[in-house]
Amino acid sequence: MRDFLKRHQIPLLITVLILVALLVYSANLRKKTTTTIFERAVMTLTEPLQQGIHRLGSGITGIWNNYLSLVDTRQQNIEVMRFNRELRAQLVAVNEIKLENRRLKKLLDFVEDDPRRVLPALVVAEDASSWARTIVIDKGVSQGVHEGLPVVVAEGVVGRVIKAAANSSRVLLVTDASSSVAGLVQRTRTRGVARGNGLQLKLEYALRSDPVERDDLVVTSGMGGVFPKGLVVGWVASVHRDAFGLFQQIDLTPAVDFSRLEEVLVLLEPEP
Amino acid sequence: MKGLFLHLLCGLIFMLFQTTIFPHLLLPEMRPNLLLILVIYLGLSESFLRAAFLTLLLGVLQDVFSGSTLGLYATVQLTIFLLVRLFSDHLNIESRPLLLGLVGVGTILQSLLLGFLLTTFAEAGSVLGILLADLPFQVIFNLLAGWGLLVFLLKLQPLLGTRQGMAGLSHQSKHHGA
Repeated sequence: MRDFLKRHQIPLLITVLILVALLVYSANLRKKTTTTIFERAVMTLTEPLQQGIHRLGSGITGIWNNYLSLVDTRQQNIEVMRFNRELRAQLVAVNEIKLENRRLKKLLDFVEDDPRRVLPALVVAEDASSWARTIVIDKGVSQGVHEGLPVVVAEGVVGRVIKAAANSSRVLLVTDASSSVAGLVQRTRTRGVARGNGLQLKLEYALRSDPVERDDLVVTSGMGGVFPKGLVVGWVASVHRDAFGLFQQIDLTPAVDFSRLEEVLVLLEPEP
Repeated sequence: MKGLFLHLLCGLIFMLFQTTIFPHLLLPEMRPNLLLILVIYLGLSESFLRAAFLTLLLGVLQDVFSGSTLGLYATVQLTIFLLVRLFSDHLNIESRPLLLGLVGVGTILQSLLLGFLLTTFAEAGSVLGILLADLPFQVIFNLLAGWGLLVFLLKLQPLLGTRQGMAGLSHQSKHHGA
């Protein structure tokens, strides 16, 4: 026995190591949204470095974008001014509606249903692999962030916090293959699950009989318990209905441009 | 011990590159996996025990910065290390094209292993499709990064002095400790 072990010690050792790693992986699959001490330590250690590099990178990009690369800026400026005038005109109408809404809410004694606090955060790093879609933000447990909190921007849903260290957290984007969000087609009220596939999303389990069309807006249904109801997920890009079957295949274009994500908002727990 | 920390530091720097600098410059599918190149290099040049331990640490380090589950890259990198080790005795590791070939094969193997583990153990949806779509870009950019690192290492060689077991560098000899 001893001879056998001595003769095959290297293959045995590497087999044991691979098995240990596989066991660690298997055990961690069940607790994806818990941060281990090791992960917390590495994230805490690397957070200042990531922030430093991000600031340096942003500085260089800023100089390039703001001072050197100004092609078409004049034309864009004219377009923006024109758009601004249109928006100002619309704003007057919106303000009227807002005032009317406030009056009616007062009349009905309406209570705001999601009094969440919002924490702004900077995106300081991205996933180290080409297939997973996660980002690192510069807010963590010290600022009240914990695993499971939703992350959004003005355009819509970004993702949810999966790992949290002292001053940084990792966010799983909705476009990640392992991410799923309970969604709702706003016009038809068709329910489904929005799953990521790298760059886009797919709305699964949407009933075939519902008349979903291209450009329909999909919002969160609030069913999963992570995202509050009514946040924009994306727009219907295409609909495929087979001759038979229960569900239709719906491709979504995410509302958020994930390639230009710089600042995000973490929706903290409502104050007790 | 000094070598161990040097390789770990190297791994950490590579991770910072992959998470902070590459996203500014490259699309996700075009970002090379520098840690994979480091693992292949370790498999060819370092003593077995040290390299195995380092590979495990580097794999776990990559897990902290990638995906959502700890242990995935640790398993994948260790398997790749083992395979490199198994074949390294039959290869001329002084040959630079062969080293780059190993990086290419390692990239394909890594994608297949990731796909297998993610679809067998986890509910990873369309991850296999993403991995396969990214594979050609990954192979090309990993080869480019491998070539770049090799050139950098050769330039650095006079500063480091002659050292046994540095794979792919001129006038070096293979040294495999058990």
